[in-house]
Amino acid sequence: MKRSRFLLAMAAVFTLASCERVDDRPTLVIQRFFGECGAVYGRSIDVGKADTECGILTTILNRFIAENRDINVKVNVVAWPGYPQLAAQIAAGDPPDLVTMHQSVISDYQGRGLLAPLDQYLAEAGIDTDDLTLAGQRGAVKDGRYYAMPWDTIGRLWHINTDLMAKAGLMANGKPVLPNSPDELLEHARRFKAATGKPYLIQAQVSAPDYLVANLYTYLLAQDVQMFPDGRHIRLNTPQAREIVQLYKTLNTEKLTTIAQDFPAATASFVNGEGGIFPTGTWMIGPYDDAARASDSRLGGYAMLPFPRLWGNSAAFVDGHAWVVPADERTPEERRAITRFLKFAAQYNADWVRTGHLPALRAVLDAPSFRAQPHRSDIAAMAATGRQLPDYVQRQSAIQGLIGEELEAAVTGLKPIDRALADAERRVNELLAQI
Amino acid sequence: MTRHDRFGGFAFVLPFVGFYSFLLILPFFMGLWISLHRADLFGARKWVGLDNYVRLFGDPVFYQAMGTTFTLALLIVPALTVITLLLALALNRATRSAAIFRGLFFSSSVLSVTIVTLIWRFVLTPDAGLIAKVFTAVGLEPIPFLSHPDWTIPAIAITTIWWGLGLPMMLFLAGLQQIPQDMYEAAALDRASRWTTFFRITLPSLRRTTILVVMLQTAAQLQIFGQAQLLTSGGPSGSSRPIVLYIYEIAFGRWELGYAVAAAEVLFLLVLVLTLAQYWLSTRKEDAIR
Repeated sequence: MKRSRFLLAMAAVFTLASCERVDDRPTLVIQRFFGECGAVYGRSIDVGKADTECGILTTILNRFIAENRDINVKVNVVAWPGYPQLAAQIAAGDPPDLVTMHQSVISDYQGRGLLAPLDQYLAEAGIDTDDLTLAGQRGAVKDGRYYAMPWDTIGRLWHINTDLMAKAGLMANGKPVLPNSPDELLEHARRFKAATGKPYLIQAQVSAPDYLVANLYTYLLAQDVQMFPDGRHIRLNTPQAREIVQLYKTLNTEKLTTIAQDFPAATASFVNGEGGIFPTGTWMIGPYDDAARASDSRLGGYAMLPFPRLWGNSAAFVDGHAWVVPADERTPEERRAITRFLKFAAQYNADWVRTGHLPALRAVLDAPSFRAQPHRSDIAAMAATGRQLPDYVQRQSAIQGLIGEELEAAVTGLKPIDRALADAERRVNELLAQI
Repeated sequence: MTRHDRFGGFAFVLPFVGFYSFLLILPFFMGLWISLHRADLFGARKWVGLDNYVRLFGDPVFYQAMGTTFTLALLIVPALTVITLLLALALNRATRSAAIFRGLFFSSSVLSVTIVTLIWRFVLTPDAGLIAKVFTAVGLEPIPFLSHPDWTIPAIAITTIWWGLGLPMMLFLAGLQQIPQDMYEAAALDRASRWTTFFRITLPSLRRTTILVVMLQTAAQLQIFGQAQLLTSGGPSGSSRPIVLYIYEIAFGRWELGYAVAAAEVLFLLVLVLTLAQYWLSTRKEDAIR
């Protein structure tokens, strides 16, 4: 008897404990990557004092929550890039309301009808799409409609150790001298190695199949080569592609570059002054600038410039981050909550690009405060010259993986260049045929 | 056995059979059905018959991944079996130091694959890893463990062996402790040498444990995934991509669910056939003795 009374009492306690006040606020589930840094920025709402992608975004979200108490905001932090998780959530019929997404990935979800068009949301948020940069517009428009609010443009740059370049006689008027042709690049690289004993390029070629692909895309786009004549085919085994891959193979063969390095090792090499130029992302400007300014720096002088014009025009293969809204049934209140967040996020675009990315808003790009940040005026042109793959190309991430794998084989000599490019073409075409 | 007894027996096994069918048998047949379709993760299904299997058996990357998987299994399973048997023999004593070492060798098994690969990345990373630093310090060229196709598979195998020592070692220890002590006493009276004792008493007594270890490890290593994904991403040029990583890439990177499930069904059949074959081969002799 005593036991049954005790059990009943426990059941009553649990039942009462499980009751909570009904929250009639609209719920906004925001899903993002960029890492977890709650220990440092968990309670901070001072966006201006935050640093790094994770820190700045965390404080922006904290501030949005603090200033919008009438919205029940839930933040999901997912491991980069979080797309398998998003796909599982959508497949289970439980998508978040706002998601960070690379612009190159948007076509996959948009093409399958999994994203809501944002034209109306952007208009209601007071964001004039004409105020977006060209690169931002290209990244967010699919089939003539906006499916995302672009938040930045990211690309690769040549991060340069100016001390070593000076030793090799590759500085003029305080600026690095970059090559204007593939032959000149090899000549510079040989001269650099002879003068410094170090490799001209530092390259993160291990566990980074996208690295070589970004180089290939950049120089094919610079020559206006139409890689994707339509959404079902790639044309890759071309003389232009062979020439580009041959250049990178020669750099490897002559050891004018580091070879067996992943990204952390390559970054350590660059910061320790073990090579001349590290072609990597815009997001490393801040860390490298800090490293160069440190009192015990081994990097010496630091500069960065867009990829040199080796073929054709100035061009850069770029991507970008964006906010997307997975398709779902939503109440007017939930739609308004999304609109308010988009407006809020756009207002903080200037803070976001302290990460090193290029802004998605022209006003921020042209603002003196942006240009006053280290090296930003050197790369601002990428917001106009930066190019992406055509918006009808789906599975861009998977395609990069396939091409990267074959390029890796080509530059390391595992496969002849012709065969590697033919294999890449075949594998990508097989993939595209299945969509 | 009465009807009542039979009913009682069924009642005892029914919960397990129910869960087993729901969680394994049903998904297997659902998978078979999906593999006959061009399907994505979001419910799209288009009947293609055996096309996915035809594509699979004409796909050079599938064969490369299968080759990598079998190579890894061949490198890991025998080595792990021998090493853990030796460890169990060395630590099968009731001393404090043996207990400490048992705990020490088992400790790697409780780590997650993420931590294990992080540790081994620090050791193996070309240029900046522990081994590379040692090689550079003595004037040798560092070995590109994670970037050269000849070295990536051994690197994954070493990582896996270190990670997987615990369970087989414990199984062998349990097996050793079940061998009747009087057999060793009889051998000692007969003045049998240590080698004779080992080959005539210990090893035959561990026959069933060894079969179990080999079968468990074979099934596990044919499904190797995390170490390859985190250490090498299957590279360079796909040279260290095992089949489960390939299936994951197809399903979640390319959204080709039907094709991925077809590969998974083939892998399942292979694991099943290999495990049954091992069991049959290892028990055949036992049956003959009886």
